[in-house]
Amino acid sequence: MTAVTDDLLADMAEIRSAMEYYARQEWTDGLPVVPVTESYLTEFLAQTSRDPGEVVFAIPHLNRECTVWLAAVNAAMAGCLPEYFPVVLAAWDAIAKEPYPKRGIWQSTTGTAPLLIVNGPVRARIGLNSTGNVFGSGFRANATIGRAIRLTVINVFDLHPHQLDQATQGTLAKYSACIAENEEESPWAPLHVEYGFGPSDSAVTALVVRSCMHIEARHTRAPEQLALDFANTISRTGALIHETSSALLVLGPEHAQVFAAAGWSKDDVRQAIYDRAVNSRASLAAVGKEAISRHTRWRVPADHPDAIGDRASQGPEPDLVPALVAPSAILLAVAGARNAGVSTVIETFGVRGDTPSSIARVG
Amino acid sequence: MTREKLLDPTGSDRKTGGSDLAQRPASLRGLTVGLLGNTKPNAEVLLAEIADELKGRYDVGEFRSYTKDYFGTPVKTELFDQIVAECDVVVTAVGDCGSCSAATVADGIAFERAGIPAVAIISDSFLLSGNAMARMQGFGGFEFIAVHHPVASLGEAELHGRVQAVLPDVLRILGAEPAGVRA
Repeated sequence: MTAVTDDLLADMAEIRSAMEYYARQEWTDGLPVVPVTESYLTEFLAQTSRDPGEVVFAIPHLNRECTVWLAAVNAAMAGCLPEYFPVVLAAWDAIAKEPYPKRGIWQSTTGTAPLLIVNGPVRARIGLNSTGNVFGSGFRANATIGRAIRLTVINVFDLHPHQLDQATQGTLAKYSACIAENEEESPWAPLHVEYGFGPSDSAVTALVVRSCMHIEARHTRAPEQLALDFANTISRTGALIHETSSALLVLGPEHAQVFAAAGWSKDDVRQAIYDRAVNSRASLAAVGKEAISRHTRWRVPADHPDAIGDRASQGPEPDLVPALVAPSAILLAVAGARNAGVSTVIETFGVRGDTPSSIARVG
Repeated sequence: MTREKLLDPTGSDRKTGGSDLAQRPASLRGLTVGLLGNTKPNAEVLLAEIADELKGRYDVGEFRSYTKDYFGTPVKTELFDQIVAECDVVVTAVGDCGSCSAATVADGIAFERAGIPAVAIISDSFLLSGNAMARMQGFGGFEFIAVHHPVASLGEAELHGRVQAVLPDVLRILGAEPAGVRA
């Protein structure tokens, strides 16, 4: 039996020929891309008043820069609709504020990916998912806005895997990583309002992420227990390449409500996790990470020739080593469905708490 | 039906510099050799070992050590200019990570373009990254040295072995030994 649709005929040879052309040029993340011509691109460029030649992000040591025009071509190839393009541009503005992307992090063995968090009315306008399956598939705006960044990284910055992208394993987030905050079911002010934007503004926050870890705690209504679960995840020794770690905590609405019901603010949550995210000197020594290198400040064993003491070793409690430099090393957002006690810790790259917020207005 | 050309998503017409190597010295006698470390573990030890070998073979005038402040990108302009002003040849190490392998090769190319013969040392796990950077810089034929990976975790004896293995290439690239002659 054959099932055919009645409403559309396609020239299969033409479609395949365009798809295979892009694949042969290696202008892809491995998945098929949407063919883009001048007339289609015009619809994207019409969504912004910015000059097509304006540079949105540059990596000087690679001798490469991304213009509005190139960002648009790659967004269209990624499958974005033209009305998504202002969000893509804001994403580039946010990425440009991150300290590591311009310093070679996308070439690194660590294998990070950019993660975008979208806030404000634009979420509903373009159908960005902020609720159930927020990290999963099925939503065009999330899928293609994240992918627009990846295709640009590959095509414009020439960061092809096995070539200049030397990720040892990489991360699944390298295909696409764009979520929206579930502002409607958050008990607190949204992320962009924390950074001084108005609730009616739309904004994109960009992060450099390493990994994505699931926290299940369906049993508890005690905020201290929840905070400890998150702290244990954040302080795991495997995460420690640098002296300290940093994280984005994406709370499911139920977990956010547990904290809010106890009267905790976002800062209370951050402080409680910070206080509990501590390794003993002995547990660090057990994995050979009890000291840091005087050159790179990466963690090394105490008997390493470059070893010096970490910050905690000079403090009043040298045997208790905080995994975070400050409570502000934790970013908080609320996303997902209000149906279970599930949250996610995303390990970010870089010493947060002392870096500028990488957030930019849409439009 | 209107038919249109597909657009190139990579950008084009990028400026790159020349691809000529610096003039090689007739000998290392009396010359100043710059040793540029990138803070990666064992970079300084590797460079010191190479300096020892050069000292033992040639009447090198002086060795000067420099350290990049960040391994992941090329050397900053100020330090670059200082090295070009103070040195006749440069050895830089060690590109044993994703970003620093490319940065080490980019540094080597920049020194060559500034007229300073340069030996850029990376580890062989990052050959493709080094080659990609050389192509990106418009200097696809730039020859750098790939020591056997790893470098960071080695002890002194193993590091000595790594240096011995690549020494003939270091000398050849610097112009201290004519092509084809193996020490």
